Amino acid sequence: MSEYLVETENLCKEFKGFAAVSNVTLKVRTGSIHALIGPNGAGKTTCFNLLTKFLKPTAGTIRYRGQDITDLPPTDVARRGMVRSFQISAVFPGMTALENVKLALQRARGGSFDFWRSRSALRAYDTRARELLDDVGLGDFAGTMAAEMPYGRKRALEIATTLALDPDMLLLDEPMAGMAHEEIDRISALIRRIGKNRTILMVEHNLNVVADLSDEITVLARGEILAQGSYRDIADHPGVREAYLGV
Amino acid sequence: MALNALFSQLLIGLINGSFYALLSLGLAVIFGMLNIINFAHGAFYMIGAFAAYFLMASAGIGYWGALILAPVMVGLAGMATERLLLRRLAKMDHLYGLLMTFGLALVLQGVFQVAFGSSGLPYPIPEALTGGVNLGFMFLPLYRGWVVVFSLVACIATWYLIERTRLGAYLRAATENPSLVRAFGINVPLMITVTYGFGVALAALAGVLSAPINSVRPLMGADLIIVVFAVVVIGGMGSILGSVITGFAVGVVEGLTKYFYPEASSTVIFVLMVLILLVKPTGLTGRGIEATQSAVAPEPASAQGRERVALMVFGVVVIGLALLPLTSVYPYFIMQILCFALVAGAFNLLIGHGGLLSFGHAMFFGSAGYITAHAVKVWGLPPELGILAGVAACAGLAALAGAISIRRQGIYFAMITLAISQMLYFVYLRAPFTNGEDGIQSIPKDRMFGVLDLADTTVLYYVVLAGFILGTLAIYRTINSPFGQVLKSIRENEPRAISLGYRTTLYKYVAFILSGTLAGFAGSLKVFVVQNASLTDVHWSMSGEIVLITLLGGLGTLLGPLAGAFVIISSQHHLAEFGQWVTVLQGAIFIACVVAFRRGIVGELAKVLKISL
Ligand SMILES: Nc1ncnc2c1ncn2[C@@H]1O[C@H](COP(=O)(O)OP(=O)(O)OP(=O)(O)O)[C@@H](O)[C@H]1O
Ligand SMILES: [Mg+2]
Repeated sequence: MSEYLVETENLCKEFKGFAAVSNVTLKVRTGSIHALIGPNGAGKTTCFNLLTKFLKPTAGTIRYRGQDITDLPPTDVARRGMVRSFQISAVFPGMTALENVKLALQRARGGSFDFWRSRSALRAYDTRARELLDDVGLGDFAGTMAAEMPYGRKRALEIATTLALDPDMLLLDEPMAGMAHEEIDRISALIRRIGKNRTILMVEHNLNVVADLSDEITVLARGEILAQGSYRDIADHPGVREAYLGV
Repeated sequence: MALNALFSQLLIGLINGSFYALLSLGLAVIFGMLNIINFAHGAFYMIGAFAAYFLMASAGIGYWGALILAPVMVGLAGMATERLLLRRLAKMDHLYGLLMTFGLALVLQGVFQVAFGSSGLPYPIPEALTGGVNLGFMFLPLYRGWVVVFSLVACIATWYLIERTRLGAYLRAATENPSLVRAFGINVPLMITVTYGFGVALAALAGVLSAPINSVRPLMGADLIIVVFAVVVIGGMGSILGSVITGFAVGVVEGLTKYFYPEASSTVIFVLMVLILLVKPTGLTGRGIEATQSAVAPEPASAQGRERVALMVFGVVVIGLALLPLTSVYPYFIMQILCFALVAGAFNLLIGHGGLLSFGHAMFFGSAGYITAHAVKVWGLPPELGILAGVAACAGLAALAGAISIRRQGIYFAMITLAISQMLYFVYLRAPFTNGEDGIQSIPKDRMFGVLDLADTTVLYYVVLAGFILGTLAIYRTINSPFGQVLKSIRENEPRAISLGYRTTLYKYVAFILSGTLAGFAGSLKVFVVQNASLTDVHWSMSGEIVLITLLGGLGTLLGPLAGAFVIISSQHHLAEFGQWVTVLQGAIFIACVVAFRRGIVGELAKVLKISL
């Protein structure tokens, strides 16, 4: 296995002439927790969209496990084990928490084009789905419609759904935004735990969490990489202060 | 001589192209600002022509006055419409705008039909433009030349207004970022109202221009708008110039077809659209994935009642239906309702559970009818094989139509399915086996499976009821299958479903095929009930009726289609003597459903009872 699970080279994305991401060369070490931080509008979400192929890069290449995936459609990227969450909580609002997670588990049975079979065929996934919900502290919410869950719980549900695919690489876009303190602690612990045998790239504004969890940090500002390194390296970097504080 | 004919067809093409250009330009302007596809555009075009007629008849104001006054009047009416109706949809999905303006079109066209019948009123060519000039290679009637030149000027003026003036700059900015423009102290809501009025006025202008050429008729805009939709699909709605050029170009292609291969002249635009979609699924000016996800979703049901309740209620209803022959209710009436309920159920599978609004489901309903009728009558097949032929043909048709349309989202999907269905309408109109306007009559009622005598009304009733039950259970199973779960997730959040590794387009495609097949099944059954297969069932108004039944009954509910079909078909029966008022009523129901009643009958009931039906 190569040292880096994901590598980008000079990744660029322009929207009508505006460079949202320019020349980003990012390497995510296999098995690490890597944080992508930066002020609002820095291009973090755009990077995620590029990596997971929800957007087509204007220039540059993306490699995953050493293979070029620059031209793959988004589903194929997901199928190869790189799965994302969304900044705006992405759940299936009209389905219960349990159904949300089961929908991801259901991927294991292939396409699920069997419209003639009763969905009780999916009961086999109930146990695993409940375990996953318990893991993110949603054990009591199994039967609740996702639409009716508080914001922080939706985020947790999204993480549980992502984990249900058992991905090698997770991309989490502000997983803890809108969460209360104790929830943050629980999700931090969860991320640390799942990060033991997975690679995680995470956008997060809460710098305590970033400091606590990440092995490596990349700072993005105005679409470009400003600094890269450990939390200590970053904190001492003059440009980073400037980008964040505007001084 | 032949050259002469060629040029005169070219001229007609250019004239039609002028109307396409003016109308699609208005659609694009409105879409840019309101995010609504204005289905009522054809109706406003018609009203423009009528306004010119009235100005002449009652106020003695001639063509030149009407050329200014009619668009102004219609524009004002459009502004009132925007204020009163469309504004209520501001934060809702695009598709609701399409549905509401469709209802509006029905109301407007219906009212004019009640008042003026369907035949045309004459409108004279203005005196200054009578006669023509001989250009050597052809004779050019002055008025026709004028229409082309004036339309072109109007289009260019609109382009200049939007792309080159300060007002236009605000308009474009407001389209991109309304809150920013509002922060500049600009009254955005007023701007939206004026934009709608302006777009509609362009349609009215086209109406006035066309009055002396095509006579003034209530339905003059009804078919035209579908052609314009095809134009819009071909050219996209991103650019002003794009719609103008596409409009004229398509008109010319149509004119050339009239000369070289007249049989295809009414279908050529749709064929062109299909070809372009096959080569470039996103249209000529499409920009890859359309980012906005678009789906008409039923309001999420409460978590308590699960779908078993719906199935139980369905069981009770079925028992009631099975006992019906013991009563004095007219069975043919119920059989019709069952057929319509089934086709609406099939449509509901697509919209209520897949979030896809097809505006062309009549193509399945009607095609199956034709195939089954032909198979039974001409080939002499027994009923069950006739039905099988109809259903199989629809599965194939759905596979083709789906392959063309499914990659486009929201309103585009609706417009494409509508256009494909309209294309088939014209094919059936000309195809010898359908007997054109007469349809296929007196279908033999043989024994089904060799034993069930369909000539016996009670037997026929039970056969239709069994078909309805079978179809509904198939829909129920599909919705509640592993496949159904994925389909639901796509409707609720397509990007998320993609990120979980589902190839969402394929699921929608399969859902489309299933829905088309089942709609075909309903159409095949109906042949034995009404004893004919006719153009009515492939007409766009039938597609609209299917949408209406589903919407009124309740999107995404198991029992909604039956409830909706009951209300709509009974109202048609009871109000038949009132002629086109039925259309007006249906349009009004459409509008009411979109504005205030989006759950539909069964959906509201389920909400009150806190169960899922
Ligand atoms: N689809 C798009 N079209 C045009 N501009 C876009 C698009 N998506 C993002 N942008 C622009 O690109 C820039 C980067 O946006 P992005 O969402 O990647 O930032 P971010 O770092 O995730 O910010 P935040 O912390 O606020 O989430 C922003 O200026 C944004 O306006
Ligand atoms: Mg972001």
